[in-house]
Amino acid sequence: MTLSPDSQTLLLLCSHLGLSSASEYAPLTLKNWNPLAKKLLSISKRPADLLELDKEELKDLLEITEEEAERIAHLLQRSGTVAIELERLKSLGIDVLTRADADYPLRYKQRLKEAAPTILFYAGEKDLLGQPGIAVVGSRHLDEAGQACAEFVGNACGLSGLVLYSGGAKGVDSISMNAALTSRGTAVGILADSLEKSIRNPEHRDAIYRGDLCLVTPYSPNAPFSVGTAMGRNKLIYALADYAIVVASDAEKGGTWAGATEALKSKWIPVFVLDHPDMPEGNKMLLQKGALQFPHPFPEHHQELKSWLDKHTAEIKSDLSQLSLFY
Amino acid sequence: MDKTHTLTLLRKMIGEDKDFRPGQWEAIEAVASKKQRTLVVQRTGWGKSLVYFLATKLLREQGSGPTVLISPLLSLMRNQIEMARRIGIRAFTINSANKEEWAAIEEALAKDECDLMLISPERLNNEHFLKEVLPQISGRIGLFVVDEAHCISDWGHDFRPDYRRIVRIVQMLPRGIPVLGTTATANDRVVKDVQAQLGPGLTVHRGSLARESLRLQNIRLANQSERLAWLAENLPKFKGSGIIYCLTVADTERVTGWLKQKGFSAEAYHAGGNGTMDRRALEQAFLNNEIKILVATVALGMGFDKPDIDFVIHFQRPGSVVAYYQQVGRAGRAVEKSYGILLSGAEDDEIQNYFIESAFPSTQVFLDILQELEKSEGLSLYEILARVNTSKSMAEKALKILEVDGAVGQTSDKKLLYFRTPNPWVPETDRINRVLDLRRSELAQMQAYMDYPDCLMKFLLEALDDPNPVPCGRCANCQGKGFSASVSHELVIEAENYLKGTQVLIQPRKQWPIGLFPDQKRNIPLELQNAPGRSLCYYGDAGWGKLVQSGKYQEGHFSNELVKAAAHLIRDMWQPNPFPGWVTAIPSTRHPKLVAEFARRLANSLQIPFYPVIDRIREAPEQKTMQNSSKQAYNVINTIRIVQTISHEPVLLVDDIIDSGWTLTMAGYLLKKQGSGQVYPFTLARATSRNANG
Repeated sequence: MTLSPDSQTLLLLCSHLGLSSASEYAPLTLKNWNPLAKKLLSISKRPADLLELDKEELKDLLEITEEEAERIAHLLQRSGTVAIELERLKSLGIDVLTRADADYPLRYKQRLKEAAPTILFYAGEKDLLGQPGIAVVGSRHLDEAGQACAEFVGNACGLSGLVLYSGGAKGVDSISMNAALTSRGTAVGILADSLEKSIRNPEHRDAIYRGDLCLVTPYSPNAPFSVGTAMGRNKLIYALADYAIVVASDAEKGGTWAGATEALKSKWIPVFVLDHPDMPEGNKMLLQKGALQFPHPFPEHHQELKSWLDKHTAEIKSDLSQLSLFY
Repeated sequence: MDKTHTLTLLRKMIGEDKDFRPGQWEAIEAVASKKQRTLVVQRTGWGKSLVYFLATKLLREQGSGPTVLISPLLSLMRNQIEMARRIGIRAFTINSANKEEWAAIEEALAKDECDLMLISPERLNNEHFLKEVLPQISGRIGLFVVDEAHCISDWGHDFRPDYRRIVRIVQMLPRGIPVLGTTATANDRVVKDVQAQLGPGLTVHRGSLARESLRLQNIRLANQSERLAWLAENLPKFKGSGIIYCLTVADTERVTGWLKQKGFSAEAYHAGGNGTMDRRALEQAFLNNEIKILVATVALGMGFDKPDIDFVIHFQRPGSVVAYYQQVGRAGRAVEKSYGILLSGAEDDEIQNYFIESAFPSTQVFLDILQELEKSEGLSLYEILARVNTSKSMAEKALKILEVDGAVGQTSDKKLLYFRTPNPWVPETDRINRVLDLRRSELAQMQAYMDYPDCLMKFLLEALDDPNPVPCGRCANCQGKGFSASVSHELVIEAENYLKGTQVLIQPRKQWPIGLFPDQKRNIPLELQNAPGRSLCYYGDAGWGKLVQSGKYQEGHFSNELVKAAAHLIRDMWQPNPFPGWVTAIPSTRHPKLVAEFARRLANSLQIPFYPVIDRIREAPEQKTMQNSSKQAYNVINTIRIVQTISHEPVLLVDDIIDSGWTLTMAGYLLKKQGSGQVYPFTLARATSRNANG
């Protein structure tokens, strides 16, 4: 794997790779990086142009403070250690995509714009990221209907050539993902916990090996699960898919609720909610907030799922503006 | 960049009267000033370490980050580190043996008080190192040094899988970071290969390999006793100190024992015997000339630097010209006249062929390990050994290669586990065969060297692609004279008796192998363990070893000579106390009478009774086909039983060859459970797994 100089620069600036946990310099957040990226574009420079500069030159070029320049200069010096860390990740089967890569998922740039993560670590078939597909979300604990629905959607995706998008966690995620994979389909898991650990799971490993699965995370490949990481990656599940189906949600709390309301508000894609007599309170409230009904049991043949979803969203236009070039 | 300033630094390090050797300044300049990727090929002792120390100093003065130096032989770089301290270079090493220093080192790194970090190639895959130590270099690597760079190449004589990882790292390093590879031994093919792998931008600095003071001679002697006699006769002729290289750990011990018996100041040096030897102390004593002769395996390796070595004698012939030249090149770095003498005998090819055959695990071992790992989220080494029939060292070799290939990863959350990565893997049969073919042709070249009639130095230099190979005028062939190959008959007899009189200790097993009894503690209760025992010899070796071999596989009968020798060893040398009151033997259904009949004659000779109380329930596969402890113990555990009530006196437990020791351990365990006294194991021979690195 040879990284482009631009990607390498983004890795140096925005990832934790090769950075001590006790380091006084933290990597740049999206909030830190976006203005710099804009600045670079406005003066017709590329990220890689920063590599050769010292602190003073950085300060002048980017019009930033002394401290910011020092932080950036420090971060840029890690190229040796980052090379070594990347080699180790590569040998574990983990690769990197940055916003400066041509292969970076277009849908993130189109839909999330500046909220698109600068760096993605992934294992498996990266071409799956952004292929037509359905996102399935929901809490870890499921009732019978939820379980059946997760399995149905996973199967239907597998059998009709759609990618199944999920958070790759326990419960609804793994049920729908396994259903997709066992019916010879493909899946993408957008993880909120350690990618390194997740690829040790024999089923995941086999599916990655076959090219049927891509596991991806915007966090460090060995970062443990936290509520913060789970919240932050919700949008990344929705933003890759064509449709989302919320299987079960708590009311006004929890990750599923937060993600679904965020998705409804942002209008990236149509959001469906599983509708059945015993549905959780959260499902009802999401319907009130404008989510579309997804019936249980599904009234048609599983191969009709895509056309059913198309039909029921014909009048909804997703709110996509023109893509602007950015790193 | 200032050459005068650099020369001042050099003099501070190695002495006011010193100057740059040809090529040194050019190499330093290439790295420190031009920031080039550079490969330095110079003979051992030329001063490659000066290049990276001085380059480090200059780069640090320019404000660069610390140097990272990768070397397979860190433990042997202590002298150089001392030297570097004279110009204020603060060098640290992190390895598994200095855990207690890690915290202090990490702090020094954080404060930018480390100029040079020495690590082994394996460290580059260590989680703690990557996550805690390396980031402390404030991320800034000023210079990346790859020592023994020939290891990168498949064509190098000691290709190491870890070096493939180094290649990938170097390829990913940004161009601004200078890279320096150093080696003493790289022929044209290796240099080309290293260049291809590290990138076309690599400039090569190459010097002459010839050694001005070295006098070479080759001497062929029939067997070990003649070579031992030759040593005893000729060693007094050397004034200073020297090294005797052997191929195996057992040989270093044997030669040392003999030399001590003959009154020489000699010590064995190897990494065998669980690595308990204090090699650092031995090196120091040798450096101080408190020990005159070090009898060593290749464990006395590349980085060891003693300038006043008068002679390097090879008790057995090394496997390649490169290895030979590197070892013999330790002599005469700072003495006028030195000798490199190659003895060769009958066992050399047998040992070398064994090394070649055991260099790589079989494809099946790779596939078996992967298959087991694929079923799980991770297995420990012992869990792998319980599932795959291969030796521990082969499993470790296979895991290392699989790891570098990216097929297997390591994690140490709680304990060290190996797991399968999603990366595809196919056996690299072609690559392995290519390396094995190379080793065979290197061996053939050494055989040709042994009998070469013309200048020996020229032969070596040509084999190493030296730019200017000329006849040396000093070797025994150029001079037409040298040490005599004939030895006194009395000394040969004495050496033969010495070889036959060495006894081999059998250490009792204290634990069952891991994974054998999931429901039991691994410790064998003290009261059910064997007492320490003895073997008469190493199987197939000089002394009694050949006789045991032919007795077992040709005559089907162990000779009276062996009975006499065994009785002599037990009664006169070993003298177990309390002395055994009876003898029993491990039966075999393959050779039903062989051991029992020997044990009966031995009992007779010791004048104690023989009771055949042990029975085999069914015949197990021969123990030597079982490749590791777990498999071996499993193989034996259900096949032995005690068939009659037994004496409560101490017992001598006899077998022909001890391999894993599980048969004897199990038999002893059962005998003691049935109420016998002490169990003393005795075997005619110990099987040898010849371990070169040991």
